[in-house]
Amino acid sequence: MMDLVMTERHHGPEPSTQGLIDLTTTAPVARDLGQWEQALALVALSRDKHAYQELFGYFAPRLRAFGIKMFGNEQQALEMVQDTLLNVWQKAALFDPSRGCASTWIFTIARNVRFDMLRKKQSRKDDISADDLWADGDYPEAEDHQTQKWELWLITEKLAPHFAALPPAQRLVMEKVYLEEMSHQEVSELLGIPLGTVKSRIRLALDRLREALDESER
Amino acid sequence: MNQSVNHHPSISLLELYCDGNLSAEVALLIATHLDYCPHCQQLRHDIEADLGAQLVAAPSGEVHSTDWLEMMNNIMAAPQLPPAKPAEQAESNISIGGYQFDLPRSLRRVASKRSKWLSMGGIATARLPSGEPHHASLLFIDKHTDVPLHTHHGLEMTLVLSGEMVDEHGRYVPGDLIINSPDDTHKPRNVSDEPCLCLSVLSAPLQFKEGLTRWLNPLQRFFY
Repeated sequence: MMDLVMTERHHGPEPSTQGLIDLTTTAPVARDLGQWEQALALVALSRDKHAYQELFGYFAPRLRAFGIKMFGNEQQALEMVQDTLLNVWQKAALFDPSRGCASTWIFTIARNVRFDMLRKKQSRKDDISADDLWADGDYPEAEDHQTQKWELWLITEKLAPHFAALPPAQRLVMEKVYLEEMSHQEVSELLGIPLGTVKSRIRLALDRLREALDESER
Repeated sequence: MNQSVNHHPSISLLELYCDGNLSAEVALLIATHLDYCPHCQQLRHDIEADLGAQLVAAPSGEVHSTDWLEMMNNIMAAPQLPPAKPAEQAESNISIGGYQFDLPRSLRRVASKRSKWLSMGGIATARLPSGEPHHASLLFIDKHTDVPLHTHHGLEMTLVLSGEMVDEHGRYVPGDLIINSPDDTHKPRNVSDEPCLCLSVLSAPLQFKEGLTRWLNPLQRFFY
């Protein structure tokens, strides 16, 4: 396998779209688009067990099949499934729908878990780990990032009614940021309030939405 | 230096990388290339999106309901917030030959585990943690310095991290990936006024072809 790759010569930059077109046209049709992204959002937002069950029920058997293909045995495959889906449960808040699909995110977690399992088996886990090889560049933990991803969630049916019930000052800021897509700085200037106040109102509103959603789930 | 990366990994190599099917040392080399190359970074996203879509589209196989329920309940009993990441003991730069080099993200942790630098002439090498059949190291080539002409049984992969170098086939700048198969005999040189730092991955010892160096086993051990 390696030999085939090795002897391949390397030319200058390839026409930038050549590979892209092939890949995207073979992608499955966009049925259920958004379903898994929403489920992840609900898990992150309110530890929504129902949403997690949907994710688990769909991905667990598929990850198991993937793992058996990779490891050649069920025991390790299931270990990989468990570790991957535990990560999905615990780190759902790190998923950012603006940077890729839920399926991509879950696939990359599974790949990294598998890589580290194999290295551990060779007692080489500390040498080079998945963290070194696959940057989380797709999911930077920048300050504003935490709030950006709410954009998608706000338009989901579950959140919309609670959005309307926010205190007016918070709702105004939320509308400017999430519906009119203004930056925090722009909102600060428009409303004549400090930047810090914009940010704190957003945090408060998000907290309130989280609570409202928790209660509506009960 | 504002020169763009010109020598990229092939699509098939990127696919193996995204799939997690490369050896750790070769994957490290590709990861480091990506740190320099937005073009391949974009390809990586596309390949990963495609692999994710394949996972979604895969048949679910047989049903194993009992196992699943227990696993799922165990998971949901776990706290949701991830534990804080342990502080990284990574270094963002490295000193050798009287120069200091910035390290790309992918190498920061690994480079902190390097062995001691071995120096010879204007060349120095420090081994990175790696195992059979591959061997990864940092390679320093001082300004106006040649690496002795050599060939290899296995594959030699080199990624320029800083500075530049030339060989019979071209000129290489940071981010450029050079792959030499066992058939290639080549002589990399740094003809510039700046020092050059590379990441080197070998799959077998080098063999030196020229004059005295041919008989110098230590030189071979030096590089491998």
